[in-house]
Amino acid sequence: MQRRIPELSRRTFLLGSGAVLLTACSGGTTSGGGSGPLRIGASLPLTGPVADVSKPGYQGYQAWQKKINAAGGLLGRQVEFVVLDDGFDQNTVVANYNRLISQDRVDLLLGTFSSFLNLPASTIAERHGMLYIEPSGGAAEIFERGLKRLFFAQPGTTKDVPDRFVDYITALPPGDRPRTAAYSTQNDPSADVPVQIFQQKFEALGIRTVHSTNYPADTANFDAMAATIAQAAPDLVVHGAVTADGVGMIRSFQKVGFSPKFLFQTKSPSDPLTFPDGIGKGNTEGIFTTAAWHPKAKTPGNAEFVEAYKAQFNEEPTEDAASSYTATQVLEAGVKAVGKIDQDAIAQWLHANSVPTVSGTLAWDERGVPKASMLLVQWQKGQIEVVAPSEAATTQNVVRPKPGWA
Amino acid sequence: MVTFLQSLVFGVLVGGVYALASSGLSLIFGVMRIVNLAHGGLMVAAAFLTYTIWNSTGLDPFLAIPLVCAALFALGCLLYQGVIRFAWRGGEASIILATLALAMIIEGVLALVWGAEPHNVTPSYVNSSFRLGPIVFPAVQAIGFVIACVLLGALYLLLNGTWLGRGVRAAAANPTGATLTGVRVERVNVVTYAIGVALTGAAGAIVSVLAPFMPDSGDRWIGIGLAIVVLGGMGSLAGGLAGALLFGIAETMTTTYVSTAWATAVPFVVIIAVLLVRPQGIFGRTTRRDVMAG
Repeated sequence: MQRRIPELSRRTFLLGSGAVLLTACSGGTTSGGGSGPLRIGASLPLTGPVADVSKPGYQGYQAWQKKINAAGGLLGRQVEFVVLDDGFDQNTVVANYNRLISQDRVDLLLGTFSSFLNLPASTIAERHGMLYIEPSGGAAEIFERGLKRLFFAQPGTTKDVPDRFVDYITALPPGDRPRTAAYSTQNDPSADVPVQIFQQKFEALGIRTVHSTNYPADTANFDAMAATIAQAAPDLVVHGAVTADGVGMIRSFQKVGFSPKFLFQTKSPSDPLTFPDGIGKGNTEGIFTTAAWHPKAKTPGNAEFVEAYKAQFNEEPTEDAASSYTATQVLEAGVKAVGKIDQDAIAQWLHANSVPTVSGTLAWDERGVPKASMLLVQWQKGQIEVVAPSEAATTQNVVRPKPGWA
Repeated sequence: MVTFLQSLVFGVLVGGVYALASSGLSLIFGVMRIVNLAHGGLMVAAAFLTYTIWNSTGLDPFLAIPLVCAALFALGCLLYQGVIRFAWRGGEASIILATLALAMIIEGVLALVWGAEPHNVTPSYVNSSFRLGPIVFPAVQAIGFVIACVLLGALYLLLNGTWLGRGVRAAAANPTGATLTGVRVERVNVVTYAIGVALTGAAGAIVSVLAPFMPDSGDRWIGIGLAIVVLGGMGSLAGGLAGALLFGIAETMTTTYVSTAWATAVPFVVIIAVLLVRPQGIFGRTTRRDVMAG
């Protein structure tokens, strides 16, 4: 049976058009002060492959929410979070941010986790004229699209990851430097970009590449890969790890009986909870990585953040929790400085000023790229210690060469 | 030559585990014609259960396999009685949607109970190996392979040496005919589904020791499982074993000789190549549909 489609009356058409226009116009960059709660929206991958990162990230937002509300709120309004789960799906994250802006009509936005999600999410925010401060997502391509209201709440992007470790190796006496290196990375912009830069810089330093490869994100069996690297017997291994693959590769190195003199992994070793659990605490000794934050760093408000977080969640804060907290500190500073919810004015203020945070004092260029650099950290005696830069170092000792597996 | 042999050993060892991991899927499909999309989720649930047993009691994860199998057998019975038999009445689309929904529910429950972070089952020997000349045999892979072979052998004996097995095979070949000869097909289906889930549980317990796992790790295993079932011949146990070994060897040889970037793709290319030559799979049989009942 064919259904008759009702004709659109002129009145309905005009009413509908008016509603659409009103909705479009109201997505502007300024909202009134209001007296109700100040609502901040975010979509997070609370389920899916990076859910382990997202959970402490959300807790970082919640830690700030508790603190700011206890202090009377932001602009005198209590802060509420509207958080949606995107399951690490790009289509869902786009739908979620559209919903947060158009339906939930939140006052402010905060970013999500991973470059994979922040790439489309930041585009949606910009299209609606909304400020977008992201705690994660340091892939270079995110900042090459001319977005005006995007800010990265870490001291450096993925391009900065190699700096400190390359400086460290360069500063070694030539006889002590590694002679050969192997590079392996997951196909992810947070890992493969820094590993490529590592390879270019180390080759320029005269360190010969004996192995170079990348692998898909769903790789779980690293035994054959580890055996191939072991046969090449490099002095240095640079591994672009994202999450559990860091643990998987090291466990396979142990199985095939290979321990390089220098081992640098991205991301994975910065998790103080799952990394030592996965490879054994005794096996962490001497492994390098970079970090955006450290629990002992003498940065503004860091000690208070660590204590409050432990009290609230009964666990140590991770780097992801700290990055989220940093993003909220940046947002808070911008809103307080402007004195109202004016997205463009806040963005302009952030472009022109620096903000003291638990991740250090941050300032940004016109793309939203931070002007600072990451910390070089190393696992020592079961703890993550900062070894560079010297002004942030928590130890003067650097373990070299990496001891064999326990 | 050493490199080739080492890759072959890695491939065979992981292939044995793949065979066990896909055996439950193959059994359930072979008998009931159900594509059990909850397979990966159930496997990861077994991995988390193994983690809890190992973490709370210190019991060796391989020794915990009987406990995990028993728990998963009971869960399989519950799922069949509570979900599968109702969805089955709605046809293939209904059962696919129902098992997909089960997979999502299982993933959500796992995240709620155990959290979303990676979990590891790491007994003291987890990263130890033994050598035969220059060839390395990782201990947990070798133990996992042996247990997988034992369980697959037991399944073979069950299917071929017991009345239950004859009933299962009869129900698979011709449900109507089996009913006429006195086989209680509905009961066979419950037991078959539960055995399939229990085998999946054993594989989950082994996999928990091999690599870190998270609530969504099941997605990978349903892909591998389906590929092996198709490669081996839908529902063929021997074909599943051959397919799994071929899959494991293709994966490791690709890693060693082609590129790690292709390691997860090349096995599927092998599957396409095999199916072009033998559309029924390695051990699958072509049967005239007009003589099949039910």
